[in-house]
Amino acid sequence: MSEHIVKSYDEQLNILKNTIAKMGSLAEKQIKDATEAAIKQDQEFADKIVGKDDRIDDLEKSIEEQVVNLLTMRQPLAIDLRETVSAMKISSDLERIGDLSKNIAKRSRYLDKNIGHEINKNFSLVSEKVQKSVKTVLDAFLNRDTKLAEQVWNADQEIDRLVDICMNSILKCIEEKKDAAAPFSQLMFMSKNLERIGDHATNIAETVYFLVSGKYIEGDRPKGESGIVSGQ
Amino acid sequence: MSNKNKITAKQVSVFYGSKQALFDVDLNIAEKEVTALIGPSGCGKSTFIRCLNRMNDVIDICKVEGNIEIDGQDIYDNSVDVVQLREKVGMVFQKPNPFPKSIYENISYGPNIHGIAKDKTHMDEIVETSLKRAALWDEVKDRLDQPGTGLSGGQQQRLCIARAISINPEVILMDEPCSALDPIATAKIESLIDELKSLYTIAIVTHSMAQAARVSQHTGFFHLGKLIEFDSTEKIFKNPEDKMTQDYITGRFG
Repeated sequence: MSEHIVKSYDEQLNILKNTIAKMGSLAEKQIKDATEAAIKQDQEFADKIVGKDDRIDDLEKSIEEQVVNLLTMRQPLAIDLRETVSAMKISSDLERIGDLSKNIAKRSRYLDKNIGHEINKNFSLVSEKVQKSVKTVLDAFLNRDTKLAEQVWNADQEIDRLVDICMNSILKCIEEKKDAAAPFSQLMFMSKNLERIGDHATNIAETVYFLVSGKYIEGDRPKGESGIVSGQ
Repeated sequence: MSNKNKITAKQVSVFYGSKQALFDVDLNIAEKEVTALIGPSGCGKSTFIRCLNRMNDVIDICKVEGNIEIDGQDIYDNSVDVVQLREKVGMVFQKPNPFPKSIYENISYGPNIHGIAKDKTHMDEIVETSLKRAALWDEVKDRLDQPGTGLSGGQQQRLCIARAISINPEVILMDEPCSALDPIATAKIESLIDELKSLYTIAIVTHSMAQAARVSQHTGFFHLGKLIEFDSTEKIFKNPEDKMTQDYITGRFG
């Protein structure tokens, strides 16, 4: 995209883009760390992650302020308007991703030795997939790449499928080890959080697609057929 | 959904002597809608609307080619009476230009020369209706005998709109009608344009993107004498097809 006649306008849009990139990489790191804290059952590390969420919230506020300033001072149109409005939407998805990661870290405090095997098997696999989606969608945003955005959009179905396997497996554990129902229930919520993070990555994919092309991704969002995730 | 076309222009080219100012412009203006024409200075947008009431006729070296029809009638046909054409197609200019006469006479002048009013009462009615439609009546009804030039800039512009309306035109052309006005006067004119479009077909040339976005239903972008893109106003300002249009409206031009 060629530059604006007014240079400070370009600078403002660049700062906005960089703030999103920063927020995105923090959110991405929070998922990774929360997963690690859960796998290692490291309470101290979990507390640290919970404390870091404020930074993401602050960036969301900064983005909101920047967007309002741009709308007021520049009255952006066409691509600039889409860029400005999209920043607001993406930041709110990233803020939710931050919250859900924080919640995973919080819940990880209630896990115990009973669930070591389960967490290594399915939960970590889901987390990897979700992290990949979040990373890819941020790349799509930074490179203005609709193909990458579509890739993330289509990948959500696979995440849902894996979360379903994960949850069913947890259910079985609860049936088998009734005295460990509490920690397994926590793990159930944590898996659901990962699934929700995947949904937010999908939202961002849609926003990026619209930002770049001015159009909406065609068709219905791919969904898992049935299972615990979809509630069907 | 757009209304039926009031004006159709096909392959319109305009020359000022040897200099070509417009190149094969195809553009339709829908009835009882506002069509905005935007583009950098010298792009041909004013030249284009001046073709619609043959204002270019007064420039000796100006030559218009192509076909322009209003209600299916070729307005450049030899049989067309230019005075009647301009009765049908009124115009408002960038700088308010009231006659150096009273407010009342500013409005009554047109109906007088076109013989529209039956008697004094009828003329009073025309003056009142025109000023009301131009949202000026309440501000001037007690001083109709005062000179029009004594009004504020915004009031003068509304007086000019009232003057254009007084002879029952079907089309109103506006060439940057708000560029000499403050934001409040501009808002009043824009509100007026919103109201007038239920009665008249309006074409407006403007340098304000925001104004085009606010008042029009269709927008055409001109550059170097060519119509680059024409579409619904929403499409033009949200997601234009042409890169040149996008660069212009987002301030990347040049």
